Amino acid sequence: MAEVSLRQLSKRFGPTQVIGDLSLDIPSGEFAVFLGPSGCGKSTLLRMIAGLEPLSGGEIHLGGARIDILPPGDRGVAMVFQQYALYPHMTVRQNMAFGLRNIGTPTDEISRKIADAAEMLEITPLLERKPAQLSGGQRQRVAIGRAIVKQPRAFLFDEPLSNLDATLRSRTRIELARLHQRIRSTMIFVTHDQVEAMTMATRIVVMNRGQIEQVGTPMDVYRRPQTRFVAGFVGTPAMNFLTVAAVSDEAGFARVSLPDGSTVTTVIPTKALPSAALTLGVRAENIQPGGGIPARVDVIERLGERTLIYANLRDGSTIVYDETGDVQVSIGENVQLAIDGSNAHLFGADGRAIRG
Amino acid sequence: MAPTRICLVRTGGQSVAEATQSAAAGIGIPRLANALFVLPYMLILLVMLIIPLGLGIWLAFQDYDMLGGWNGSVGLENFQNLLDDRIFRGTVRNTMLFVLMTTPAFVILGLALALALNDRLRRSAMLRAIFFGSSVLSVTIVTLVWRLVYLPDRGMLANILGTVGLHSIDPVTSETWALPAIAVVTVWWIIGLPMTLFLAALQQIPADLYEAAALDHASRWRTLMSITLPSIRRTIVVVAVVEVILQFQLFGQALLITGGGPNNTSRPMVQFIYEAGFRDLQLGFAAAASQVLFALMLIAALAQAWVGRKREG
Amino acid sequence: MQTYRRGSSFTDRALFIAVALLAIIWIAPIIWVVGLSFKPNEVLMRTTGGIAAPPFTLKNYTDILASSSVFGWMLNSAIVAIGQTVLTLVIASLAGYGFARTNFLGRNALFVIVLAALAVPEQAIIVPLHTMFAMFDLHNTYVALIVPRVAFPFGVLLMTQYFRAISPEIEEAALLDRASRFKIFWRIVLPLSVPAQVTLGIYTFLHAWNDYFWPLVSATRPEMYTLTIGLASMQTNFAQTEGIGFLMAQAVFAGLPVLILYLFFQRYIVSAVAGGGSK
Ligand SMILES: Nc1ncnc2c1ncn2[C@@H]1O[C@H](COP(=O)(O)OP(=O)(O)O)[C@@H](O)[C@H]1O
Ligand SMILES: [Mg+2]
Repeated sequence: MAEVSLRQLSKRFGPTQVIGDLSLDIPSGEFAVFLGPSGCGKSTLLRMIAGLEPLSGGEIHLGGARIDILPPGDRGVAMVFQQYALYPHMTVRQNMAFGLRNIGTPTDEISRKIADAAEMLEITPLLERKPAQLSGGQRQRVAIGRAIVKQPRAFLFDEPLSNLDATLRSRTRIELARLHQRIRSTMIFVTHDQVEAMTMATRIVVMNRGQIEQVGTPMDVYRRPQTRFVAGFVGTPAMNFLTVAAVSDEAGFARVSLPDGSTVTTVIPTKALPSAALTLGVRAENIQPGGGIPARVDVIERLGERTLIYANLRDGSTIVYDETGDVQVSIGENVQLAIDGSNAHLFGADGRAIRG
Repeated sequence: MAPTRICLVRTGGQSVAEATQSAAAGIGIPRLANALFVLPYMLILLVMLIIPLGLGIWLAFQDYDMLGGWNGSVGLENFQNLLDDRIFRGTVRNTMLFVLMTTPAFVILGLALALALNDRLRRSAMLRAIFFGSSVLSVTIVTLVWRLVYLPDRGMLANILGTVGLHSIDPVTSETWALPAIAVVTVWWIIGLPMTLFLAALQQIPADLYEAAALDHASRWRTLMSITLPSIRRTIVVVAVVEVILQFQLFGQALLITGGGPNNTSRPMVQFIYEAGFRDLQLGFAAAASQVLFALMLIAALAQAWVGRKREG
Repeated sequence: MQTYRRGSSFTDRALFIAVALLAIIWIAPIIWVVGLSFKPNEVLMRTTGGIAAPPFTLKNYTDILASSSVFGWMLNSAIVAIGQTVLTLVIASLAGYGFARTNFLGRNALFVIVLAALAVPEQAIIVPLHTMFAMFDLHNTYVALIVPRVAFPFGVLLMTQYFRAISPEIEEAALLDRASRFKIFWRIVLPLSVPAQVTLGIYTFLHAWNDYFWPLVSATRPEMYTLTIGLASMQTNFAQTEGIGFLMAQAVFAGLPVLILYLFFQRYIVSAVAGGGSK
């Protein structure tokens, strides 16, 4: 258990920059989830921390000591790989024991640690099996078990849930969160799946193109996205973006006009606005029928507990809002929508959110 | 197995660029200590292959024989002498003739066997085992067997020809038949190699191609011509190149069956190198002959690969 | 294997009969030789017809057992073949792992050299190689019979290819488990490469057992002959020989070990050939 500090990390593969000048402190005991689209450099970053990928620049500290100069085994981190990377020719027990043997742990201590971990993960009956005789979910547990027995100062997870089916994935999410509660170790988890990030993280780090877009608690990232990228990446359905113009000031707050001419009053101070182009961002849940913005229903997606309705404004732009599951609505119907300005966001031309 | 290394096979298939590119993925951080893994092999390669290769090229330009010792560099004289040597010219002709006799046989027969035996039936597996089996024998055993087959009057061939009322011939002492007799032995010996390469290629053809063809009512012949053969064109070129390289190295069969005779009509280049280098101990001369062989093999293989690629492109 | 059957069963049957006939022609010489090896030399002097007709004898084989040299040669062949196999497996596995999975300066350049070495036939180097061994007075030794063949790159390339196919994540997991590079090689990678080891081992053994040109020029003293060379040395003066039954028994006797090996390991032998060619 230790704090992880990334200092001005950068990584190039030949001429291509994959990570650029990335700095971040992850406090001890945190469950930090790096969230970003595929190819944004999450795995690379994790592998740099583990020592599997040399740095092009910067430093990594763990528990106050610099570790990027150490070989992977000496860094005190354990990693759970996407494909689990169990040793195929060893039994589950041998898989878990391998790392402990390599550091000369006494045999009885090894057995005890394996027994504890196996019990916690409910894999005790599997200990004498080989990986080929395990299901995907069981392998995943073994991979976690192999990490746990080493009692690392930090755990690294590289999309470990992506090979599981949907049911197992949501169950494992809960179990991982519970595991973190229990061992309180620093965990760094990378994923492209925002549901995983929202459900497990104590802190989400949103990444895009090798850069950090935003760091915050799940609700913070959801409620107060700092960039248009974060706003669009986190949350389903994706946030609506409409090009708008600032028209007037209402008690210090900006009032903007939509492409179709209707206006929305925000809670963003007028004086913060730049003169250049503005984008209004608003989530589906913050748009309701019963306002003054005319629209025509185009597509209806019924998800059960709620219904997503895609509608066209008068100028043709599309907007999505949600309703209760059993709402009566039909395609082609004309509706009048209201946008909740107090939950709307404004983004400048640089993609950054404008706040008071 | 054949006296030459089957590894030559791979030169036809994979380009150097392809192979090195896929070598890019190492794990861990670069460390010079990792070179220790390859050090033992690289040392052996250096001492047992690279240095001899360089030495051989150098020797080809020297007047050097075991008895007379080293008499300095002689430029191209060894090569000039080879050109003037009637026997050497004969061995070049014999070798080329042999390659021309065997390579088509290996390609056509190997492909035919592969096509006929490419299924999961037990009987096919048995036949494959028979055709492949002879290639695990050494050249000495193969030639021993075949000399007994070719034995005048009492050999198997003489027996068979006798039963159908034909006069027995002794191919081993016939100027016309000596080289073809060696070619027959060679094809008998290692037909398993091309057959196996073709079988491997046939198994790479996706089954749904055949299913699609069947749905299109393609006849068996059309399926062969428009699906099977085009799919394994690359392998046909590879097999041809491999066989040319292998058969250029004809040696043991000729030495042990005919000794190169009669009247030098079956003496191959390698036997010439062997006799010049290890019987007459003319090292420079033998080395020069080796370089000629090496060059001819490279040219033949490159030409063939080039022709194959052109047709493909 | 392609299971899709097309065409009429009549064509299938005709094709099978044709191939089966060819197969009979193919093994006829071997059956003939095996059959006659059990016949007395006196009978064979007169006729070689009717291999199934008595009298039969084991004398040709007991004669082999009585002749001392064949056993010595067989022992030499075994020492050379096993030595070469073990050395090749060790060295090719190490090098293959080095090329497949480690990073060091100059690795790609060295690998290109190894690939290029594939193109070098033994004839191009045999004269200078022989001279070099003569210089150090190493001919007629096991070292001379074993070591030069380890230089051929096939094994290294085969192992490189095989190691590359093993997931790198497994080795990275072992790195994080504090295993040294050599330990990863020894405890993780080698156990996983057993199929490739078997293939390469059998392939090397067969080549060594059947090797002809190099042993012919290097082992010149009869007591250092391998079986291949020894048998060849007895083939001179062939037409006049009175003991063709004895010769046939020798062929059978010498061929037996590899044929047995072939029967047991056919799958690996064939895959070594196909693997070398299809990639
Ligand atoms: N070994 C490598 N060589 C070159 N480019 C690489 C290498 N590994 C990753 N990349 C590139 O770096 C970028 C980030 O990759 P990665 O960290 O795997 O992304 P993520 O895990 O977020 O999907 C990708 O564009 C990928 O193509
Ligand atoms: Mg990734």
